[in-house]
Amino acid sequence: MSGVSLNGITKAYGQLEVVHGIDLEVQEKEFVVLVGPSGCGKSTTLRMIAGLEEITDGDLSIDGRYVNQVAPKDRDVAMVFQNYALYPHLNVADNIAFGLRIRRTPKAEIESQVKEVGGILGLTEYLERRPADLSGGQRQRVAMGRAIVRQPKVFLFDEPLSNLDAKLRTQMRAEIKRLHKRLGVTSIYVTHDQVEAMTLADRIVVMHDGRIEQVGTPMDLFLNPANTFVAGFLGSPPMNMVDAKIVAGETGPIAEFDGNRLQLAKLPSLENAVGTEVILGIRPEFVTVAAKDEGGNVPVDVDLIETLGSEALIHASLQGAPFVIRTETVGQMDILDGISGFNIEPHLIRVFDKATGQALPGQVLEQ
Amino acid sequence: MTNDPNFSGPTTEQLVFDATESQRRRKRTRIQKVGDHLKREWQLYALLLPTIIWLMVFLYKPMYGLQIAFKDYSVFRGIAGSPWVGLEHFHTLFENDQFLRALRNTIIMSAYGLLFGFPVPILLALMFNEVLNQTFKKSAQTIVYLPHFISSVIIAGIVMTAFSPSAGIVNTIIGWFGIEPIYFLTKPEWFRPIFIGTGIWQEAGFQSIVYLAAIAGVSPTLYESAVVDGASRWQMMWKITVPSILPTIIIMLIIRIGNILEISFEMIILLYQPATYETADVVNTFIYRQGLQGGQYDFAAAAGLFNAVVAFILVMTANTISKRYSRTSLW
Repeated sequence: MSGVSLNGITKAYGQLEVVHGIDLEVQEKEFVVLVGPSGCGKSTTLRMIAGLEEITDGDLSIDGRYVNQVAPKDRDVAMVFQNYALYPHLNVADNIAFGLRIRRTPKAEIESQVKEVGGILGLTEYLERRPADLSGGQRQRVAMGRAIVRQPKVFLFDEPLSNLDAKLRTQMRAEIKRLHKRLGVTSIYVTHDQVEAMTLADRIVVMHDGRIEQVGTPMDLFLNPANTFVAGFLGSPPMNMVDAKIVAGETGPIAEFDGNRLQLAKLPSLENAVGTEVILGIRPEFVTVAAKDEGGNVPVDVDLIETLGSEALIHASLQGAPFVIRTETVGQMDILDGISGFNIEPHLIRVFDKATGQALPGQVLEQ
Repeated sequence: MTNDPNFSGPTTEQLVFDATESQRRRKRTRIQKVGDHLKREWQLYALLLPTIIWLMVFLYKPMYGLQIAFKDYSVFRGIAGSPWVGLEHFHTLFENDQFLRALRNTIIMSAYGLLFGFPVPILLALMFNEVLNQTFKKSAQTIVYLPHFISSVIIAGIVMTAFSPSAGIVNTIIGWFGIEPIYFLTKPEWFRPIFIGTGIWQEAGFQSIVYLAAIAGVSPTLYESAVVDGASRWQMMWKITVPSILPTIIIMLIIRIGNILEISFEMIILLYQPATYETADVVNTFIYRQGLQGGQYDFAAAAGLFNAVVAFILVMTANTISKRYSRTSLW
C-alpha cells in the first residue's frame, strides 16, 4: 500500500529544533491536509517527506519502505509548489514532460501522456504556450499536470493555491478534490487556510509550534477540538472562548461567569471539575439569539451586525473580548434589530481546562 | 448639428474655439505634469546629473572634432578653419596596407576572443555555482577575481617574465621536456594565443560575477522541483541554470559584439614590437601610431570613425537578431 508513515520525525537546524517528533500514518489513497499557522513546521514536514530537507531524527516510510536516506527522485513522490516552479523557458507541454524526459521515458509515451494530462486538466489548447503567457490558474494546472503525469505513489502539495485570487482558489480547490477522486493517489497537502483544509481533507492534521495538536476528520475537529488552539484555529469565525468557573447545580454542572449561569452537559468529567476554572468554547453557529423581550441566558452588548444574505454575523462583546454569533437571517430580521442575549444547548458547549487548554474528557459531539 | 431654427447651442466657431482652448489646457497640463514630476523626483535627477555631464563632456562634445576625418586638419588653422577634403582620408585608409592588416588582425583577435574568451566566464560561474564548500568557493573566486584589479602594465610585466626565454616559467617547463627555449613574444604566431590567454586570465573571473548574479536570481524551487522529478546536478545545470541565464548571456554577447573592434590596445602596446606587428597590430594601435605618434590626426580620426560605425552596425544587427529570435534585447 502506498501510504506514508512518520515515526518521531524531528527536524533541527543546528540547535534549533523546529519539528518535534511527529507521528502520523497516512493511509493509501487518503487526502491528508497539514494545517497550521506560519512557522508551525508543516512545510518543513512536507519537504522532509519529499526529501528536500534532511530528517534529523525519526523514521519515514513510503509504501512500507524506509526512505530516510533515499534520494527524492527515488521516493516516487511528486510535489506541487506554492509558486508553481514552472520552467519559464519551456512551453506547457515541455514543462509537463520534464520529469518524464529526465527519466528517459520513450518519446511516443511522453507525447501520449502529455496529451492525456493536458486533456484532464483542460490545458490542451495551451500546450504550446510558455508559462509567462498563462493566467495564475492555468499555471497552477500546469504544475499539477507535471506532478500527475509521472503517476507517483504520493502527491505532495505545498500551499498550491495561496498565489491565486479568492474566486480562482475556490475553483481550483474543487478541481484538486475532483482530481483526487479520479486518480485516487495518496495526497499530503499543506495549507494555512482552514477553509481549504476543511473542504479538501479526508483527515486534517493541525500543527502548532512543530507539534501535532490533533488529527481527525474535518467535522470531528470542528465539533470536538482537543484543545483551545484547535478550537480557535478551525472554524470561521473561530470558536468563542469564555472564562468561567464550574459550580454544582441541581440539574448538573453549571458554568458561572460575570453573574451569568450556563447549564453544562451532565458528564462525569464536568461534574468532577466543580470548583475549577475552565474555558467555555462556544461555536458562533451553535448559539441561538434571544429577542429583546425574550431575554437570553447570557446577555451581550451588540456592537455590529454584518448581514451576509442568508445569514448574519453578530459582533458582540463578552468579558471585554469579542464574541461572535452566526445566525440565519430569514424570518429573524425583527429579532436581529434588538438582541438581548443568547441561549445555547448544554451539550454544544465545549469545556477546556484553563490551566492546560485541553478539552475535558468525555465530551463527544456526534456529527 | 441640428436644423432647428430655435436651436440655441454652441456655434461652429464656438466649438472650434473650445477645442483649441481644451488642447491648450491639455498641453499646459502636460507641462505642469512634467514640472510636478521634476519637483517630486528632483533627487533622482540630481543623482543622474554627474553621469549626464560626464557623457556630454567626454562623449558628446568630442563628436564636434569628428569632422576632422573629412578635413585636411591643421593644428594651426583649428578644426573650423581646416579645409574640407571629403572622403579622401577614407580612400587613403583603404589603400593603406598597414590599416588593412590592422583591420584583419582586429577581426581575427576579436573572433578568437569571442570564441574562447566569451564562454569562459559563463563556465566559471556555472562551476562556482556547483561548489558546495563555501570556503573553497570564496577562495577560488578571490583568486580568479584578483588579476582584474592588477594594472595592465604589471600584467604585461608578468607575461613578459613568464614567457622570457632565459628565466620564464613557460620555457623552464618546456625545457624539462628537452624543448629549446622559444622567444614567444617576438614570434608573430605566438602573439595571438598569448594575448587572448592573458585577457581570459585577467578578466574571466571578474566577468563571471554578472553570470553568478544571474544564477542567484534563478528561483530555488525550480531546482527543488527538478530534484523531485529526478534531475541530476548536471541535468539541472543544463536544463535549468543555463536556459535561465540565457537572457543575460545574450545581453553580454550583444555588448561584446558591439565592442568587437575595441580590443584592449594598452595590453597590445605593452606586449607588441615591430617583429610581431604582422599579427599584433590592430586598428586602435594603428590609430595611436598614426594619430598621436605620427601627428596625422585627420587620418587617425577617419580610422577611428570607421571603427565606431562598424561597431554601431554590429551592435544594432546583434540586437535585432536577438530581439527577433530570443525575445531578449538591449533596447
